[in-house]
Amino acid sequence: MNPFGLIIGIATLLIIGLGFPLVIRGERYLGYTWWPYMMGTGTLIVILSLFVRTDWLSVITGVLGATFIWGSTELKEQAVRAEVGWFPFNATKIKPPFESTIKKWKTPHL
Amino acid sequence: MNMEINPLGLIAALTAFVSIWAGHVSVRKIEAETIQLWKPVLIAIALGIGLEIVALTITNRSLSTVFGILGITLLWDALELRRQAKRVRKGHAPANPRNPRHAALLAEPNTHATPLNILDRNPVGRTVSAEEAILLVK
Repeated sequence: MNPFGLIIGIATLLIIGLGFPLVIRGERYLGYTWWPYMMGTGTLIVILSLFVRTDWLSVITGVLGATFIWGSTELKEQAVRAEVGWFPFNATKIKPPFESTIKKWKTPHL
Repeated sequence: MNMEINPLGLIAALTAFVSIWAGHVSVRKIEAETIQLWKPVLIAIALGIGLEIVALTITNRSLSTVFGILGITLLWDALELRRQAKRVRKGHAPANPRNPRHAALLAEPNTHATPLNILDRNPVGRTVSAEEAILLVK
């Protein structure tokens, strides 16, 4: 019996669970236009995982990075949920650097 | 400096991302098309548990990781199928008029269910009323 995969599965569940407040609170206080920074952070975390020698730590790092990348694609929809009143709407979000440029790009949504 | 690359984290990241994405799309589609939801829920639970058992029997760490993550996301998808049905009932996800289960929800008096996908638009940066929310997606 090799418990590695099962333990990783359970750890993945917890990290994915963290993804929900990441998106909900991230959108509430920062706004969906932070998506490139969330996607970039996730990508850097995944790249970092390549240099982690300990297997379980490398996997956790990788899954955390993937959660940030996935989260970046969920921000736009969460923004609309807040606008229609399904989640609290915050009118005083912290704007990201280069927001006007980011708004010209197509926001990713899977 | 010896910088040995450990691909396990990247393998886990790719598996997690693809399976979350596939689950996201599948849950919406399956919930919209299925009349008896207990069937796909049961299949997802059985497949999820099965994959976790497979993960326990494999000694290769990469494969064990892949199956472990896939199994967990399938178990999560089983939960999400039920959550999606609740979203449809509340009008937070579009109802499928061609699905008798959804059609019954749409026909209920004072129903909140709607065939419209209220979220299918870009954000406008302010709160909108229920009426405007509908106009923005039509």
